[in-house]
Amino acid sequence: MDDVSPAPAAAGDVRLAKFDPLSRVLFFDDFDEGINGWCELVGNHDNNLDNIRPLVRDLRPAQLSTCTFFDIGTHGSFDGVYSLKLATRPRVNHMNQLIKRVSYVRRGLVRLETWFTYKAETVFDPSPTSPKQWDGNYHPVEAMFGDFCFSNDVNDGPDGKRHHCALRYVNTDFEGNFVRKWMYKTSLQVTTKMQLAGMPTPTDYHTVQPDDWGEVPGGAFSLCHNEVPTKINWNYLSWTFDTDARRNVELRVNDRTMDLRDLPVPVYDHEYYGCDRLLNFCIDVRTHLPVRNFLFLDSVLVSVDW
Amino acid sequence: MLRRFHTAVLEKNETYGKAFDTEPMECGWASEATWFLRVAELDAGTTFRVQAQVSPDGLGWCDKEGVALAVPGIGLHQLEVRHFGGWLRLRCDVRGDAPRVKLTVYLALKE
Repeated sequence: MDDVSPAPAAAGDVRLAKFDPLSRVLFFDDFDEGINGWCELVGNHDNNLDNIRPLVRDLRPAQLSTCTFFDIGTHGSFDGVYSLKLATRPRVNHMNQLIKRVSYVRRGLVRLETWFTYKAETVFDPSPTSPKQWDGNYHPVEAMFGDFCFSNDVNDGPDGKRHHCALRYVNTDFEGNFVRKWMYKTSLQVTTKMQLAGMPTPTDYHTVQPDDWGEVPGGAFSLCHNEVPTKINWNYLSWTFDTDARRNVELRVNDRTMDLRDLPVPVYDHEYYGCDRLLNFCIDVRTHLPVRNFLFLDSVLVSVDW
Repeated sequence: MLRRFHTAVLEKNETYGKAFDTEPMECGWASEATWFLRVAELDAGTTFRVQAQVSPDGLGWCDKEGVALAVPGIGLHQLEVRHFGGWLRLRCDVRGDAPRVKLTVYLALKE
């Protein structure tokens, strides 16, 4: 016998042992059991699909993936067989965003945890590759992955305020240069209501201008890409935000911890009808090249301090 | 557990003037699949034919023999398939002097 005691969570459910939740689990989505309500986001419309803003018209459906690749076959997920897969089209600046919609019981701390991995699709056409070539360790596909983002949508009702927190990992810029930084948004997401009132169409779903992003302190680091497009390593992410303070609190990625409490979060100066106590969770992936980009989530656990 | 079911919207009122493929869908969990094609507009002289395709990896594709449809015109049409491995897409052949089709494509998957 060794003197290592099992963690309390592991004793209860081994699937939860790899998470660090707040006091109450709001939901636990194991994608071996299905998509669990992570559906395609679509822009608002009047039943005429032609009237959906182009940027939010084609955000793509969820998929359940076995992470199957051309060289090894099925990779599988971290826990089980299936993961939730987000996939862009092979089109510059195309984004896949999935959303899970709930309402909050109280305002307070919310923590989203997930184990995720990301890849650009294998391309046999050499034209989109970066100047740096394969050397047995580095693979050009690493520079074909653009960015992914975790965000929320919180609305306190007709007498309250609406805000979005958004944290984006930018792997490359649109010129194919590595950035490898976590960023937070510094302007509002342009809504359908704002566009109908005259705001111009943005190129970035989350912000008014594409450069309306600031660097997260301590957020400049590489992730484990692992050399080729068909080897995936699962990364831990924990994102805590405070719906009472309307702020981010903390981002943890593997062994890194970033304090987010001093980062500003834009709040709308106008109200949104019919969204009382709205609490939405959003995840997206965006390609910067005509190459499909993928984000895979093994599972998602959201907990609260209510 | 009830059988899992999922409908994906692959094309949303999109207009095409030439051949295209729907995006690859990873759906190895499903044992049956039905495409629904809601054709809103089909210009005169346009020939529109769809062919189911399968793939081992989402990269290389071949036709699923016998699963094809010559779309007769405006309206809702369906095409179904079983025993398709892990990936599906629809090859959409749009032909004519100035071909044009506007459509929505659904993929209904069932465990």
